[in-house]
Amino acid sequence: MKLFNCILVFAGALAWGQGLDFSGRTNLPAGPDMSGTWYPQPGQDSGLITASGALVEYGGIPVNEAGRLYALAWSAARIQGRQHQCMGYTVPYTYNQPGNLRFWEERDPYTQRLISIKHYWQISEGTRTIWMDDRPHPPAYAQHTWSGFSTGKYEGNTLTVYTTHLKRGWIRANGLAQSDEATITEHFIRHGDRMTYIAIVNDPVYLAEPFSRTYTLMRNAKEPDGWLYACDDGEQILGRREDQVESYMWGQHPFLREFADTKHIPLLATLGGPETMYPEILAKLKDPQATEAAARAELTPASGPPHVSRAADPNPHDGAIHILPVQGNLYMLVGDGGNIALQIGDQAPLAVNSGAGQITDKVLAAVRKLTDKPIQFIVNTNFGSDFTGGNVKLRAGGHDPSVEGSFFSGQFADAGRGATIIGHQNVQNHLLALKQPADGWPSDTFIQGRRRKFHNGEAVEIFYEPNATNDSDTIVHFRRSDVIVTGDLFSTTSYPQIDIKNGGSIQGEIAALNHILDRTVYQHDEEGGTLVVPGHGRLCDEWEVAEYRDMLVIIRDRVQELIKSGATLEKVMAARVTADYDDRFGANSGSSATDVFVEAVYTSLKNPPKAGSGN
Amino acid sequence: MPRSLRIGARLALAAGLGFIAAVGASGQGRGGRGGPPEPPKTGKAGALYDITGYWVSVVTEDWRFRMVTPVKGDYTGVTLNEQGRKLADAWDPANDEAAGEQCRSYGAPSLMRVPGRLHISWQDEQTLKIEADAGQQTRVLHFVFADDAGSSWQGFSKALWEMVPVGRGVTPVGSLKVVTTHLKPGYLRKNGVPYSANTTLTEYFDRVNEPNGDAYLSVTTTVEDPVYLAQPFLTASHFRKQPDAKGWSLTPCSAR
Repeated sequence: MKLFNCILVFAGALAWGQGLDFSGRTNLPAGPDMSGTWYPQPGQDSGLITASGALVEYGGIPVNEAGRLYALAWSAARIQGRQHQCMGYTVPYTYNQPGNLRFWEERDPYTQRLISIKHYWQISEGTRTIWMDDRPHPPAYAQHTWSGFSTGKYEGNTLTVYTTHLKRGWIRANGLAQSDEATITEHFIRHGDRMTYIAIVNDPVYLAEPFSRTYTLMRNAKEPDGWLYACDDGEQILGRREDQVESYMWGQHPFLREFADTKHIPLLATLGGPETMYPEILAKLKDPQATEAAARAELTPASGPPHVSRAADPNPHDGAIHILPVQGNLYMLVGDGGNIALQIGDQAPLAVNSGAGQITDKVLAAVRKLTDKPIQFIVNTNFGSDFTGGNVKLRAGGHDPSVEGSFFSGQFADAGRGATIIGHQNVQNHLLALKQPADGWPSDTFIQGRRRKFHNGEAVEIFYEPNATNDSDTIVHFRRSDVIVTGDLFSTTSYPQIDIKNGGSIQGEIAALNHILDRTVYQHDEEGGTLVVPGHGRLCDEWEVAEYRDMLVIIRDRVQELIKSGATLEKVMAARVTADYDDRFGANSGSSATDVFVEAVYTSLKNPPKAGSGN
Repeated sequence: MPRSLRIGARLALAAGLGFIAAVGASGQGRGGRGGPPEPPKTGKAGALYDITGYWVSVVTEDWRFRMVTPVKGDYTGVTLNEQGRKLADAWDPANDEAAGEQCRSYGAPSLMRVPGRLHISWQDEQTLKIEADAGQQTRVLHFVFADDAGSSWQGFSKALWEMVPVGRGVTPVGSLKVVTTHLKPGYLRKNGVPYSANTTLTEYFDRVNEPNGDAYLSVTTTVEDPVYLAQPFLTASHFRKQPDAKGWSLTPCSAR
């Protein structure tokens, strides 16, 4: 027994001295413990409470042309818009807000290994997870959120965090946008009851250079009481039109010089840009005439061709079909042209769209991974080849038992052989006109406003959206799963492809997006709840649809204003009315090219479609 | 003795011996066991990271207070007491110029916030030198010191590498901590927001490295002044590493 005591004491001494635990495993330091409650230091950047700042206070922000023009068009009245009232906060903006922050660790209960570090912030009641277990970031077509997807690692006494999958948020809530393409690197360095926070934002859409900044967080001496931030939107202006989005025409910002004049700062410096971050700007500002001329040049788009999108393409283009669980019964199949949505359940699958038809065999293989039942229904949301291209093969691989043995069997020998394709009558008309194979036409068509089904345990509503991208658009709402599939009406990769010749119009497109927004309900602060599968691009929710709608309304209003002043199409093109969005959505070729889109807006405003035409 | 107490006593003894072992081991430095104790490392030899070289300030915090001279009476964000406000409201740059004190806003509590470039180098094994082109100021950070100095714009700075406790065999981590006193009265901001000779300045200098090769130096600052401040004044500023002296431009202090 005495020998045992000696061994135990000796082992303990050795272990302590060597930094070993009793299991013999090296007791590596995970990193500084940041658990507890914190708050942003008051004082620094006073006047930027909630980081909003004054209008046209952009000095020190390395915005590019698109970022500056976005901000100069932004009206604070836009906050009154229904989908903007409860907009959440993104990082790093959220660490400069006046509320409380709570940090805590999540550990594996059995191994005590660190799984994640959680941050909760009072403002917008956001919860962020920083994964510490080396898991990979999700694919580019996965949903974006306010807090994004973050992975962290300890580097010395520093917690370094890398974040992707952020929603479009604010650099500063005075119109300085941080795009949904932004990625963030953050460093948290604890110094006792203070924490240095360094963030570097890389945003290819709105920034010309990385935007780096530092804050200090202070540790609360006691647990604070305030943790909630109640927000629920409602209409604030009676009679407000659904297609009303406040914005300023470039060069007409009514408060352009307010901040500059009040603070005795040359206008050029308040307009931001990378040069305003560095000491050299001081010498440049000494020449008032030159700075004024330079400032004026920055208030409107520079002449030249439209910019091309700097956003990464979320489609892997790797010849494979990728399956993304959406929610409820819904899956998103990515990889063959337009996105395909697949509903599965006790009955046979229902697909929304069939893709481009390039790799339909792989689509069918993907379906088989999810269910052993053949597809029963295919809904076409419009006649475009990216959505109907796989109709023939996908239909052939399916089976509709609901008509087999019914009176249809007496009329059609092949009733039930293959899936039933559902679509607006105009989808069939267009495919017929295009001489597409009859096997790929919708056989179950409708012409009224809504086609209803109850399938796989939920209501499925198909709504006709007249004169939107063309005269055959529909959306599909899976009510129990709470997912809306938009087809070509909504995309995260391009401007809408408005096909004027086939009945499309900007007015119908905006009305369709508003109809989607009428049906969506967010779970919390413009996030979650109803999810939206776009025709192209990543999985979304209401926020992205609202942003897209806002963009189209703002561009429409600019074109309308130019038309009122007698501008020709050439003048509208030269005005670069999409300059604040081209770095995100612009293209210089194809059916979604910027020029094609602007021409469609112009044409549909000059010659509006007759109400309900094509219906 | 009950069994639980016996085990507790053994563990306590183990812990005690472990502590002695750890202290003994740390006194040996990295030289291993058995050899003569190594002398304490110098500031330079014990550096946890390299902060030498040229750095350019990236002015994205408090831009409107740093890039331009704020208007008189704008001390937003600084918790001045009544005496401090009175002094700030009486600011007249002409008086400073007449007194030859144009460098009042270039003292250590505000120098890291002045737009410009830094050149950081080791003056010797125990002394780190920070030269600023703006105002042509030089800060000297002492890792060994005699606590005796007259007052100056840059005061007297004591530096140490403040370690975060880690297990043995693990690369030490921590920050450069600098505490500065013996300051001549000056301005926290160019528009006469004052600090007194009784001010204590505490700073943490941290370096972070980005995957694209960029390196940033953050300076987290606490200014404590019992004479003019009701609460400590906290700021964070940062610099980006430059490969060379490009842009280095010595400019004299300006009171305006």
